[in-house]
Amino acid sequence: MNSCDKCGNLNIIIKKKQSGQKLCKDCFIKSIQKKVLKDIRKYDLLEKGDHVLLGLSGGKDSVMLLDILNSLKERNIIDLTAVTIDEGICGYREEGIEIAARNAKKLGVEHRVVTFNEYFGMTLDDIISKNNVKEGRRNACTYCGVFRRWIFNRVARDEGATRIATGHNLDDETQSIVMNYLEGNIQNLTRIGVKSETRSNRFTVKIKPLREIPEKEIALYVVARELDVHFAGCPYAGESFRAEVGNFIKELSNEHPTIMYSTLRGFDKIKPILKREFSQESIVGVCENCGEPTAARLCKACTFFKDWEDE
Amino acid sequence: MKIKLIIGEKEELIEISENKTVKNLLDIIDIASETVVVKKNDYIVIDEELIEDGDLIEVIQVIYGG
Ligand code: SF4
Ligand SMILES: [Zn+2]
Ligand SMILES: [Zn+2]
Repeated sequence: MNSCDKCGNLNIIIKKKQSGQKLCKDCFIKSIQKKVLKDIRKYDLLEKGDHVLLGLSGGKDSVMLLDILNSLKERNIIDLTAVTIDEGICGYREEGIEIAARNAKKLGVEHRVVTFNEYFGMTLDDIISKNNVKEGRRNACTYCGVFRRWIFNRVARDEGATRIATGHNLDDETQSIVMNYLEGNIQNLTRIGVKSETRSNRFTVKIKPLREIPEKEIALYVVARELDVHFAGCPYAGESFRAEVGNFIKELSNEHPTIMYSTLRGFDKIKPILKREFSQESIVGVCENCGEPTAARLCKACTFFKDWEDE
Repeated sequence: MKIKLIIGEKEELIEISENKTVKNLLDIIDIASETVVVKKNDYIVIDEELIEDGDLIEVIQVIYGG
């Protein structure tokens, strides 16, 4: 007979493949909250008085993180502002923005929506159709990621935020590790971690409190907590190499349920060595064009714009 | 036996044989169990939960790409 390992309740909602642990709804919710708060302390992600800027897409990861960070806000440990970035992905992003706004409002968390259009004069859809012929759609996530990071950093400075929190989960993080390794992208590997290091006071420290929570458990959490979540896929997602790697790891996980944890743990062990040997982050200046921090003359976002002008 | 199956907006009555688990049902309708959360009569259940006559089964798609 299946019953909750903690309280004996017969209505269990999870039987963890990796450990065999069985939990009822209440004990599962509590155990996840405890784990995230524990990781925040363990990795020193937040300090009392921090002003946290949360990237709130309305998807399950960010809505769960809002739920947990709000408990710290309610205890007056941190200040919290949620920001939703509207990349301009027609037919997909609109609903996420509405859901994000509803969640923030329900908790009384300050919420801003900022758009690619207001900062760059074009939407992600514009960018993709512009580049359709030359590079194809494969690069949507590359542009999206670069421009999104640029905006986060800018908004964080405007808001005087001391931390940028994102909802990256265990699956995301494992994908990044394997993908960058397979591509030989060692520079990118040196930047993967639970907390970014301050290279420039113009960069706000980024934290990933859900980095050790599997995507499936995040999904279960939001359903169990009955949170209002945008369950939908980005139309550009399936076309990326990241998605291919993600599917491959998920498939492996079916037979080897601890594979994501071991990938993460192993990576975290070799990371200090990678950083020591390969990191080029010591010389940080500012972009000639926009003033954002960069090691080159132009930041990545401005480099893309320059390439398009040159065409 | 008959059960009511809800997937997203779609709701239907379907016929399945006795002694099927949630996992068996997901295999029959060709949905990967890693991508969904399943509720039986409004309670979240695990893959090995047995389905009985007249049950209301709701399949919530929770994992997409991106
Ligand atoms: S899947 Fe790619 S294009 Fe879509 S929101 Fe995510 S990073 Fe942007
Ligand atoms: Zn319990
Ligand atoms: Zn720039």
